[in-house]
Amino acid sequence: MNFQLTEEQQLIEQSAREFAKEYLDPIVVRLDQMGEFPREVVKELANHDFLGLQLSAEAGGAGAGFVAYVAVIEALSRSCAAVASIVNNQAMVSYSIEAWGSDAQKKQYLPKLLDGELIGAFALYEHGPAPGIGPDALIATKRENCYVLKGVKAYVRNAAEAGVFVVFAVTDAQDPKSLTAFLVNANTGGLKVREKQSTMGLRGCSVADVVFEDVALPGSAVLGTVKAGSEITGRVLALASVAEAAQTVGIGQAAVEHAAAYSKQRVQFGRPVGTFQAVQTLLAETATDCHLARLGLRHVAQLVEDGKPFEAEAAMVKSFLARVGSKMLIDTCQVEGGMGFSEAMPLPRLYRDIAGTTLLDTPADFPDYAIAAAIV
Amino acid sequence: MPRCLVCYKWTLDEKDIKIKPDDLSLDTARAKGKISDFDRNAIEEAASLVERHGGVAHALTYGTPAVKQSLKDALSRGPESVYWIADNSAETADGFVTANVLAAAIRKLGPYDLILCGEGSSDLFNQQTAVRIATLLGLPCISFVQKITIEGDTIKATRKLADTTEVATVKGPAVLSVLGTINHPRIPSLKQVLAAAKKPNQEIKIPELGLAPECLQPRAVRKSVRGFAAKRKKITYKETSAAANVANLAGSLAAEGLC
Repeated sequence: MNFQLTEEQQLIEQSAREFAKEYLDPIVVRLDQMGEFPREVVKELANHDFLGLQLSAEAGGAGAGFVAYVAVIEALSRSCAAVASIVNNQAMVSYSIEAWGSDAQKKQYLPKLLDGELIGAFALYEHGPAPGIGPDALIATKRENCYVLKGVKAYVRNAAEAGVFVVFAVTDAQDPKSLTAFLVNANTGGLKVREKQSTMGLRGCSVADVVFEDVALPGSAVLGTVKAGSEITGRVLALASVAEAAQTVGIGQAAVEHAAAYSKQRVQFGRPVGTFQAVQTLLAETATDCHLARLGLRHVAQLVEDGKPFEAEAAMVKSFLARVGSKMLIDTCQVEGGMGFSEAMPLPRLYRDIAGTTLLDTPADFPDYAIAAAIV
Repeated sequence: MPRCLVCYKWTLDEKDIKIKPDDLSLDTARAKGKISDFDRNAIEEAASLVERHGGVAHALTYGTPAVKQSLKDALSRGPESVYWIADNSAETADGFVTANVLAAAIRKLGPYDLILCGEGSSDLFNQQTAVRIATLLGLPCISFVQKITIEGDTIKATRKLADTTEVATVKGPAVLSVLGTINHPRIPSLKQVLAAAKKPNQEIKIPELGLAPECLQPRAVRKSVRGFAAKRKKITYKETSAAANVANLAGSLAAEGLC
């Protein structure tokens, strides 16, 4: 077994690091403080083919594969995990359309999604415990010539800037299996994006509720087939969770590198703090967690690329990172002491961002079900 | 429509090199390779000139067998093809050997209207290659170049000198060495990276160059390389009077010849 990236994958990762240093490092603090959506950066991501790198060449993508995609997400996250989140959410939409879309839908949306002209958002969650349940549940009611959507989708990432939403709605309020995916243009009558929510981290990748007030959609807006929603969400969320794990590893790597560099500069009792065993232990444990997570991550990415079952292994990586992700930041902040607590240093931002990558979309306790399902 | 050849060096990435604290020797075991910094500028300039004027850009490199790792990286940055000379002689090659090898290869591959090099390599920065190649090929050389324009067969180059700039013109073919300020090297897009695998590369063996054995014997031999680590004096001034402490500090600096 070889955990090394191929030559092409290494070059793609190198391009992503060069991109991150040039385009993300200069804006990351402003993004974190202001929560602005980096539209110019998204355009540059498109110019460098990062928005469609894992999509097939037939779909207009670079066809670089999922291992390269994960390496890029990690490389971007080392500088700015919020931008990696934007890329991941865009990929969730473009992949959904590539895999389940009709020819007309692919033609209409994919070119614009890949060149960054159109931002995509994946609208799955609701305020209730599951789609279709609760007072604001989104219901798609079949009428003679259309579906009418009424309800609210919650915590939609990229919502404020999205031009197209992949929206999941049950067509029968009594039947959770009726979950159906629709492609909805942001300017469709009755669709309203609520005010952006202030978040702990990953600022710059907006989060907002989306209200559907009798939004009428033609049958051609259905993505895949009616009641294919669960199949789509299952696959897309599993892939997204791998990318989120890559974000966590990228953030952890950035924290280790920063803390290690600091430990060589900061002198106490006449010697750099990095020469003290207690500090070395913190750094060594963090680097170990980060390294092991990366190995697991690359294995999962290779399974995806090979078309093999990957859900249990992806859940293992996600579960592992849920346990060690925040610890990596606690320990590296500890290495930097009082300075590590200061917002003048990057660790507080990384701390807040890593909370997002381990908490969102696939909650920390959820992966255990997927792992157990594979072994019990 | 210039035919450009850009020479580059595959060096160790200095950020990966560690200095061993006991003897200040360099630990390169975990150092990755990279295209030398100014050579990236040279590659970018060749690609940019071809985009503006047409023609073609090829790349040429000479290094240890590790140089093969550089080919796709170089090709993703613009050149249509790359010629590579992988030989263990590069391990100890100085400017004399490097220029002999590259000049012989250029004779074999040429003619070219413009040969571009970086002003110096990231690792040694001897600034020897361009001027030596030009001398061996009997071509004019312009160094410290921060801007190039081409009009017909005339190459106009702006040189950055200590506190002034100088514009030089020359009829091609010529050898130019460029500074890091000449351009901003592009970041290869993913499609450019993937397309690089389909571009041609050709190995040239040292014996094919017809060089006499003495041409591969370095004139300068590197005896050792040591890292630099500042040693703290750890002097503490403990007088109660600030004026006395300042005086003592000044005295320490004077003793070091620093004031």
